Amino acid sequence: MKTKILFFLLTGLLAATACSKYPPESGRLLEDLAIYTKYDITINFNDYKTFAVAPSVAYINGKDSASITTPEAMALLSQISQDMHNRGFTAPAAGAKPDLAINVSAIKNTNTTVYSPGWYWGYPGYYSPGWWGYPGYGYGYPYYPAYVTSYSTGTVLIDMIDLKNPTSDHKVMVRWNALIRGLLTSSHSLDDVLKSVDQAFKQTPAIKTTSK
Amino acid sequence: MKKILLIITVFILLAGLAMSQDKPASLGFKPSSYYTFSWNTTFTMGDFNKWVGNASPAGFDLGGRYLIKGGLAAGFNIGWQRVSQMYGYQTYIGPDGTALTATNYRFTWLVPFQGVIAYHFIPDRMVSPYVGLGIGGDYMEHHLLVQEYDLYRTRWDFSLTPEVGAVIKFGYFSQWGALVAFNYKYTTNKIELYNDRISKNLQMLNLKVGLSLMIR
Repeated sequence: MKTKILFFLLTGLLAATACSKYPPESGRLLEDLAIYTKYDITINFNDYKTFAVAPSVAYINGKDSASITTPEAMALLSQISQDMHNRGFTAPAAGAKPDLAINVSAIKNTNTTVYSPGWYWGYPGYYSPGWWGYPGYGYGYPYYPAYVTSYSTGTVLIDMIDLKNPTSDHKVMVRWNALIRGLLTSSHSLDDVLKSVDQAFKQTPAIKTTSK
Repeated sequence: MKKILLIITVFILLAGLAMSQDKPASLGFKPSSYYTFSWNTTFTMGDFNKWVGNASPAGFDLGGRYLIKGGLAAGFNIGWQRVSQMYGYQTYIGPDGTALTATNYRFTWLVPFQGVIAYHFIPDRMVSPYVGLGIGGDYMEHHLLVQEYDLYRTRWDFSLTPEVGAVIKFGYFSQWGALVAFNYKYTTNKIELYNDRISKNLQMLNLKVGLSLMIR
């Protein structure tokens, strides 16, 4: 009887100590970049022709938030512009309003852990609808956007805004948003980020136009 | 892989029969019951293998058998198993305009529980080969991990597990022994997490190596 009890005690102890549900290797997932995108499936991007990218990046890091034009920020904006050209979009004529506007935010760290989509609107460097030619308007999502509940790992957010079709309730809509995540958890180069911008476009083939 | 497992199975049965023949029948004892605790290595098959292709040594199995008549035994098996694999950058396209590109980690965690009947060809010998059939179910959790996101589904199923193996006493009259067994497991479980693919009727092969405690 004692042997039986010993057997069950030993096996129970061994099983209890070994039965971790989550594999230990899964911890490294946060070190890799993730590219998450979502677009408004109700629109046809072929209805748009011109675009403009914001002249700076909204850098959000708590009280240090600012509009930045560092070489890295400019490379990021340039890459987005290049990808838009590759999809057939062009710059508007001088003085004309673009069909699509693109705002870019880089979020380093914040002290809170839960956000709602669009909380970054209004930070320095995130250009308002007024700046894009719609004073008194607000931003809106026609769909539930790509977002995460914590941006503490470093994130680049890209919003593509529809300036061609403002809504009757004075909103301009975000038709595509992308986030590139994991920038602060490992040694990612600028090249990694630029490739991730390419990937964001690649995984959204709907963004293209042949409109003249 | 299948050939290796077949060779192991045949070896277990032949070794058991051979070792049992070279000693007088009076040496040894027939247990009234025995318990086993084994380390379990899982080889996924079919659609399950497309979800996780790695063989996984993360698993344990606890069993009990009660000899009813002659070599016929009935009992139970409960256990714990996990199969897992890391995959490089892949893109998942959703139907609502979403797309995600990331490295991902897939694993299935399962708790099998079965009633078992087994037939021991020579239950009183030092090496006692057997064939058995487990009938029962599993609780499975299928997880797809991307960064800190954990997409998962839980499912219960029905399972069938034919098994061959041998209980090998450490001495003719030793209560303690080793267990070596190999089984094929069919379940009605399914996975619905990956790019709208549904993997049905998950199957696997298991190799069990462990200890057994025989009760006189």
